Formats: sequence, C-alpha cells, structure tokens
Amino acid sequence: MKSICLFLLFPLLLSSCIEIIDDITIHTDGSGIFKYSINLSSSKLKVNSILALDSLNGKKVPSLAQIESKIATFKTSLAEKPGISSVKTEFNSVDFILKISIEFNSVAQLQQGIKTVLQEMNKEKDKEAYEGDWITWDGKTMSRIIPSMLAAKAKSFENSDVDLLKNGTYTSISRFDKPILKSSNSNCKLNPSKTASMLQVNTYDLKLNNSLIENTITLTP
Amino acid sequence: MKYVLPILSSLLFTIGFGQQSESLIPKEAVTVFSINNVELLDKIGVDELIKYDFMDEIHQELFDGSTDNKSLKDAGINFDQRLNIFYGKNLRYEVSGFSFGIKDKAALFRVFDDFDAINSEYPGAEAYGSFFNNLAIKGNNALLIRVEPIESYVLEVTDSIWFSRGNLSPYYNAFELDEEISDEELLSQDIAFDAIEKNYNELRDSVEFMIQKAYLREVLGGLLIKGDNLINTSPEFQELLLHPVAGVFYMDNERNFDRAKNLWYLKTVLPTLYLNIQELYEGNIITGDLLLRDQEIDFNITAKYSEPLGSIYTEMNQIKFDKRICRYIKNDQSAYFAYNINLKKAYEKAYEIVLPMLAKEKNAELSLNVLLLKLANEYINKDALFDTYKGTMFGTFNGIKKVKTRKIEFFYNEKTFEYGERETDAEEDMPIFTLGITTARPDIPELILEHFSQITSKFEKKEHYWIYKNAIFETAPLYILNLNGLIICTNDEDLAENHHLGYGTERIDKRQIKAIKAGGSLNASIDLKSVVNQFPLDFIAPEQQALMESLKGKSGKLVLKSNETDKKQTTMSVVYSFDGKEFAGKHLLDMLNTLYLLTK
Repeated sequence: MKSICLFLLFPLLLSSCIEIIDDITIHTDGSGIFKYSINLSSSKLKVNSILALDSLNGKKVPSLAQIESKIATFKTSLAEKPGISSVKTEFNSVDFILKISIEFNSVAQLQQGIKTVLQEMNKEKDKEAYEGDWITWDGKTMSRIIPSMLAAKAKSFENSDVDLLKNGTYTSISRFDKPILKSSNSNCKLNPSKTASMLQVNTYDLKLNNSLIENTITLTP
Repeated sequence: MKYVLPILSSLLFTIGFGQQSESLIPKEAVTVFSINNVELLDKIGVDELIKYDFMDEIHQELFDGSTDNKSLKDAGINFDQRLNIFYGKNLRYEVSGFSFGIKDKAALFRVFDDFDAINSEYPGAEAYGSFFNNLAIKGNNALLIRVEPIESYVLEVTDSIWFSRGNLSPYYNAFELDEEISDEELLSQDIAFDAIEKNYNELRDSVEFMIQKAYLREVLGGLLIKGDNLINTSPEFQELLLHPVAGVFYMDNERNFDRAKNLWYLKTVLPTLYLNIQELYEGNIITGDLLLRDQEIDFNITAKYSEPLGSIYTEMNQIKFDKRICRYIKNDQSAYFAYNINLKKAYEKAYEIVLPMLAKEKNAELSLNVLLLKLANEYINKDALFDTYKGTMFGTFNGIKKVKTRKIEFFYNEKTFEYGERETDAEEDMPIFTLGITTARPDIPELILEHFSQITSKFEKKEHYWIYKNAIFETAPLYILNLNGLIICTNDEDLAENHHLGYGTERIDKRQIKAIKAGGSLNASIDLKSVVNQFPLDFIAPEQQALMESLKGKSGKLVLKSNETDKKQTTMSVVYSFDGKEFAGKHLLDMLNTLYLLTK
C-alpha cells in the first residue's frame, strides 16, 4: 500500500512540475464515474533517479514492478466492492502517468469502496485516518474536502522541494446532468452550459492550505 | 648497552603516553582521529560537537538539556591533552567513543549528568553508565565508550537458542490455524505462553544485552586491566602521536571490517588463498597529519602496504601524463579529477603476483578459473586492450544545467472541461558531468558505436560526436566524442556542440597543468561552495548524501593530489583552504567529520 500511496502522493512530494486531475461525473440517480490522473512526465528524470535508489529519506523506494503490482491489487480489490461496477487503471511507466477510472452506483459506495481498499492494503490499519466524509451527495448538493489522511501526509512532507512544488497543478472537475446553481469556492470556473465546474490550484499552495479545493456545489432544482 | 636502549625507550614511552588520554584508546579501534591542538576547540559548544556524525553512536543520551549552551571548556575537559575520537568494527561488534583529559571532574558531571556511578570491575578506574554509553575515568583521563554487538551476530545467537528450544520459525505465519480460535482465546494463550517463555523478540533483546555486556567487559578489561591500548599494539600509531601537528588520523586497513567481511568467503572456503591475500594487505595502515595553517588545513596522508601490493602500485605509477585531457577542463571548473595509471604494467605485475597465489589453492573450480586466466592472457591481444584505454582519465562536474526533455501535458476544452494529452518540450535540472579517457585505438570504440547504431536508432552519429538518445534515465541524451586520442562521455550539450576541440583559452592554466603533471596518479580539485551546494542529493546513495550534507554551507576549496609512490608506501595530500572569517577549530572538526564519513 505504501507503494501506491507514495506514487499517489508523489505530486505533493517532489515533483518539479506535476499535474493531477480528479474528475467526477455524478448523474441525477447518484451513479457516475470517478477519474483520477497523475502526470509526472515533466519530472521523469527526477522520478527515475529516485527509483534507482534503494531508499529516500530513510524510506524504502518501491520498484516499478512493486508500484505496478500495487496498482493491480488496488484495481482488483476495488472492483469487488459493492456498488463499484468497473475499475480501469492505466500506468505509463515511461512517462509516469497513472490513470484510474471507477464507475459507481452511488457516491457513498465509491467513497466506502476506496476507504476499504486503502485500509485493506495499509498494514498500519490506522482506522481513524479514514474517518469522515471526503465527498457527499444528496441529489442536489455535492460537497468535497481533502481526505484527512492525505492532508496529514502532505503536511508531514519536508520542504526540501518547495521551489519545485510551486510549479505543479491540481485540477478538480465535477460534472452533472443538471446546471449548477452556485458554488461555495470563488475560484471555481463553470463551463458555458454550467453542467461542469473546474477548480485549478497550485500543488504547493494546496500543501499549505488543504481547504483550497474544498467546494460545495448546488444544482438547480 | 643492548638493554639500555629498549629500557630507555620504554621509559620515555611511559612518561610520554602513560598518563595521557590517548592511553585510553582501546586496541579494537580501527580508525582514530586524535586532535592535539585542543585549545582550538575551546569555543566549540558541546551541543555542536555532539551533532557531528563521528559522535552519532554515543550522542543520543546526551541530548537532555544538560549540554545546552555549554562549551567544551565548561565540560571540564583538559585542553592540554589530546581529544581522541575512535571507531572500530569487527565481525562481532562495533566500538566507538572518545577519550580526553579531565581538568574539572565536577564540571564534567554537570554536563554529562545522565551518568550514574556503577561498581567498577577495573582496579584504579571509576565506572559510570548511562543506557548504552559508558564512562571510565582513570586518573585524570576519561573514556566515553559504546560497544554495540553486530545485529547479524545477535540474530545468529538468538536463532541458535530459539530453535534449540524446539520453537518454530518466528516468522511462521500461523494465521490459518489461528482463524479457528477467537481473538480472546488467542490473547489468553499468548499471555500464558509469555509467562513461561520469552518470545523471539524478548529473547533477541536479552541476547543483545548479554552480548553487549560481555563485549564491553572484553574491551574494557583488555584496556584497563591488561593495558592493551592501541599505543601498545600499534607501533605506527605510537609513532604518529609524536608528530608535532594539530591532529592525526589513523586507519588500520588490515583490520578493516568491510575488507575482512569481503574475505570471509575465502577464509572459510579457500583458507590457503585467504592467508595469501591477507599477506598482501599486511601492514596496510593509512595515517595522516592535520596541519593548521593560515586559512588552510593541510592533510598529509601516508598509506603503507606490503611489498607485493607496493610493487603493483609502483608499476601502476610508471606512466607519462597525457596532457591532452587538460583541454577539456575549464579554468573555473567546479570540480575535476585527473587519474593517471599504467594499466598494462599494473596488470602484468598483478598477474605475476596474484596468479601464483591462486594456483597454489587446491580447489577444482578455482583451478579451472586459473587455467582460463592463463589462456586469456595468452590469447587476448593485450596491446589492443590496453591501447584502447591508455590509462589517463579525467572527470569534471560542470554544475547544474537545464536539459531538454519531452513531457506529456494535459490540455482542456474550455466548453466541456474534457481534457486530452499532447507531447511537448520540457526542461529539467540535471547535474552535468564529463568523463574522458585517453586512447591509442579510437577505431575500437568507433567499431562498437557503429555496431550499436545499426541495431538501435538511439545511437546516431553527428558531425563531431555520437549521441545516445534518452541514455540517462530514459530521459536525457549522452554525447560520446571520439577524437584527438580521447573518448569523452558527457551529458553537456554545450561541450559536444561547441567545444569538441576543447575549451581553448578557457581551459585550466599552465600552472595547474604543471601541478597535475608533477603530482602522482590522482589529482582533484573541488570548489566546495559551488559543488556541494549545487549537487542534487537525490541522485546519490544515502551514505554519500550524509557526506555531502556534512559539507553543506562550506566555502573554500579542496585540492587532493597523490605524491610519491614506492614499494612500501604512497603519500597523498589534501589541502582545504577556507574563508578567513570562519573559525579554524570548526573547520578542523568539519574536516575530521568528512574523513570519518569517508572512512566509516
């Protein structure tokens, strides 16, 4: 699990220019698709140099095979969870781009499925870290925050790569069948048809202030 | 008369070293730094001192506030005596610590207040303990020492006891059996079992504790009862202490654990060969003098070795320096090295000395290898081989540059926020290195490069150089120049494109070339400020990172050169020049720390 966590958190760790996209589509019946992409291609040299090491800052560096194996385990385990109908993963080990796509019956099942799999894969079994809702949907309103586990991890990272982190972007996209009435985050952009919102923040700013991508979106009745 | 001299020398020795702090260095020490001019350190804070890597093994328990804002002077240390830092490792344990003179015992214990008096088993010596650290005081000298058993040895003993008691492997996974038992039942079983017998980890801790005590007794008993200190057992160390310099360095490579570990297989499987190889390393002792000059610390090193090894080294040095490499070293180069050895002569001498040793061993596999070596020696065109690499090598560090790479970036449709991918140019920071060797057979590397270019499009010939695309971490190119009797590999596009004939007037000046030429086989120069502060630590291994971290923030220059080499010894010198505003004692400790990390 640490391998996949390390990869998922690479953006916040050490990238010279990183792109992360989380893209969720929620249909009126609550079902939808969640896509998560991490692009480390502009830091290939650095990632490759780290992968060549046995350890970094006292922590073991996973091999590419270990990362691929963990991604495969994540995919298989998540696909078995209730309410999850299709899980696709794609890992480009040359350019270091990871893409995950998950189809779900309800937002609650998506969240529970991911939490359960992370807990299963995490040997530390730190249940508290997975408590609380990261995303909620009541048919009209969607709220999302950074999971406390990720926020705490990000805060604990050393600032040795601060200058590099400043070039990264985190993009959060939410799509709906109905137009959006309002958004709580003033930095949130809406598309012309108002059925999708986009929030783009700098990864370093996000590390300092996790609330930057907090958002509550209310749809038109 | 013949008895007078030994008696006199023994008397002089007793007067000279008998009551001094250096008499408390155990014979198990393999590496010693002995600082003579301790006065230099009177402004060094204890907090500062214990942060050095050479104090790493013993510092933990000292961080309790008692050392806050206290200088070494406040710690009651006698500055008229040497401060000796030592480290040793054998197949069973590591020993580390330092010995020093005491001026004010009460002041010493105000700083090292964690130490409690314990019953001393050593006549004439007081003993104190604090967790794993031990303090022994004999007369006006103190020894702070830590003895740690080697983990693999502790585990070996633990396993032996554990399995002799009929236990299963401690890593045996009994989950399948335990599944049928409830958590409560399992817990009560564990408690019941723990009450009658130690589990594996408890047993390991007990073994470690007992072994640690036994080894400490072995070291201290030898030192404080039998008087087996390093001065008595090593004439080289004894002689070294007479040098009128700021500090001395001693390393007994014959007892160097890592080398001993490498020879372990030979010792057990090929004992005759082990003895022969051991002979090669006999007397392989490295000593050094640290001299403090105005804004400069000189470190003069002498490496002594056995005559067979010395004859190989001497042959290696029979070579004329090829100054063509100097064209590719810039005058303001952050760091460079030049290495000059006669590989052919060294091979021939090694063949002459080592092969008979291998041939003596009555082992079928080894005997076959000896035959293969003999045949290779007859059949291989050694002239072609040693003409391909003539023996002169250079390397440079050209700082950090942006190198062109390709990246995938996401782009968004503003109407739908759908996104796609496109490949674009990117730039990444990369340390720029150049490595070159002299050759008299440029046709051979050309043959290899031509061949590679036929099997992969990654190799491509340009006007002045070959390019190996994405050679470095599948990202950045490597340029190979094969011209003017040199083969140069670099990731410096500027060198390949614009300086394939050398740096012209920008190259190192005649004075520096003369110095390299006059030096021995190795010459190196490092501008600490530009190298250490620029070098990306992510690219190197953790143990090397510690070394680089120890040099961070330093200004000044390190110049290393080897001097004379003969059949008995070789000499080298390192000159560290620094900014005059900085404190010399601090520089001395920094230098010692760097040496410690290099030799550990």
